[in-house]
Amino acid sequence: MTSMLKLENLEISFATNRGSLHAVKGVSLDIDAGESIGIVGESGSGKTVLSRASMGLLAPTATRTGTVTFDGKEISSLSREEVRETWGTGMAMIFQDPMTALNPVRRIGPQIMEGLTVRLGMSKADARKRAIELLGRVRIPDPEQALNKFPGQLSGGMRQRVMIAIALACNPKLLFADEPTTALDVTVQAQILQLLSELRKELNMSMVLVTHDLGVVAGHTDKIAVMYAGEVVEYATTKDLFARMRMPYTEALMKSIPRLSTPSGSRLPVIEGRLPDPTKPEPGCLFASRCPYAQEKCHTQHPDLTTDSDGHQYRCFFPLGAAQ
Amino acid sequence: MDSVKKSWVFRITIAWFALIAFFAIFGPWLPLPKWDQVFDDALSVTPFKQGHILGTDSNGYDIFSGVVYGARISLFISFTAVFVGGTIGSAIGITAAYVRGKFDYVVSTLFNVVLSIPNLVLSLALIAVLATNVDPNVPTSTGRRIMVLVISLTIVIIPILGRIARAATLSWSNREFVLAARSMGSNDRNIIWRHIVPNVLPAIFAVAFLAIGVVIVAEASLSLLGAGVPDGTSWGSMVARGRNDIEFAPHIIIIPLVCIAFTVIACNYIGDVIRKQLDQRQAKL
Repeated sequence: MTSMLKLENLEISFATNRGSLHAVKGVSLDIDAGESIGIVGESGSGKTVLSRASMGLLAPTATRTGTVTFDGKEISSLSREEVRETWGTGMAMIFQDPMTALNPVRRIGPQIMEGLTVRLGMSKADARKRAIELLGRVRIPDPEQALNKFPGQLSGGMRQRVMIAIALACNPKLLFADEPTTALDVTVQAQILQLLSELRKELNMSMVLVTHDLGVVAGHTDKIAVMYAGEVVEYATTKDLFARMRMPYTEALMKSIPRLSTPSGSRLPVIEGRLPDPTKPEPGCLFASRCPYAQEKCHTQHPDLTTDSDGHQYRCFFPLGAAQ
Repeated sequence: MDSVKKSWVFRITIAWFALIAFFAIFGPWLPLPKWDQVFDDALSVTPFKQGHILGTDSNGYDIFSGVVYGARISLFISFTAVFVGGTIGSAIGITAAYVRGKFDYVVSTLFNVVLSIPNLVLSLALIAVLATNVDPNVPTSTGRRIMVLVISLTIVIIPILGRIARAATLSWSNREFVLAARSMGSNDRNIIWRHIVPNVLPAIFAVAFLAIGVVIVAEASLSLLGAGVPDGTSWGSMVARGRNDIEFAPHIIIIPLVCIAFTVIACNYIGDVIRKQLDQRQAKL
């Protein structure tokens, strides 16, 4: 399989009033053509920054080291114009919030057609045909009518479908889905994820699915990277990860998913404490202060990413399931 | 919007705009005496006497004619100044906020410098420089005076609307849909024209209507100071001519003042309505 996106030792920091904010710390990931990878972590763990950085969409205030190789080309060696060439046709992104990611004063049609006319040089009539086809594909009823609607006239689920249609418009090879379902209710969530999975297989796209919900990625990804405070703390195939999680943090995430079997009225399990301050580097494991298994060593030494015999990577001195 | 449309204030405002627009456009063809026609037998006539609807002033000019012709010049000057100034200011403001960096810094500094000079002083100074002939004995033509008046008021308007355009662009260009448009490969031209301008425009319109009010008052003040239209008539110059007669014939000055006040209030009201619509729309996002 050919590599579609390769991140090597990616580091991203932002200059803030309180000093440098280290948002992403030495992340290396590899996504093959047609593969789907989930990036999971709580708010503020650097997931969004990571996906935006991979696309080259970060604000100029961010500093980046490490390499991002997309389809054999190193992104930082490309000019602004060349990076733009990859947007839409190479990489595309579905944004988190369908309420803000669509222009409120433009009709749906022109917003979908924009990429087609600008990037692919299609004529208006061709772009319109393609837009109708795309809306049909994301299962919007009566696509022709929908073209003339404003975003405010559509429901959240419909808008998210429009966002997907826009992202898919130019047949990207790699699709970033940045929390595509957070703003939606659970039934719509399942539909959208199902749709994304189907479209991905149909178009043979690679996909990066960014989410805070382990349940979301479970059925729709080949590999999962769990992020915590800007670091990848566990990285394995989806099957392997759910079968044998090694990282206490992943386990904690898993436990905090509400289940039907939990008696009603009982408190939902939460991960106590909060993310470490990203402007103040800590010597030990970043999760140590919240980890139920933390020992002396965890507070003083920073664990490296360890790879076990079957390629399962984790960042922990005392992984779950290991002999104590 | 419907509730606004039904309110009587809104209806009166629209009616007033329609009336003065009618005067401004069709004034010269209405069956009225010329504004500069002197009625020797009717000086300082009070309204509704001797066939003069709004009376005459102390020179024997018909005041209603003056109001009708004055609407033409006052509105021409203020709308032109705001339209030209608004267009230039918005173009500069939007570009500055979009490209950021040094250009933005220079532009906003220049805006602030111009804004720090009081409107009236600035336009007076510009008129003094631009509308004076080298030979002081040669009078400046009315056309040139109006041109200079419009230009100087335009310069006053550019930073007022430019600043609004810049601020609005700053906030809109950081919206996620702009990033989304970029991420699908849209170019700067499309992003500015299709995504930013349509969103920024209502804010500019709201302030532009307020600016029209400001310009009408500024024009009137300049006329009062003798720097307005010399031998034509505008509402401001009618006030200027009638200011000596305020004790015994107050209608001479009150009538044009009422026109100015009504128009300014109407402009402000329309500006407010637009701003409210804007706020409501934003609240819905």
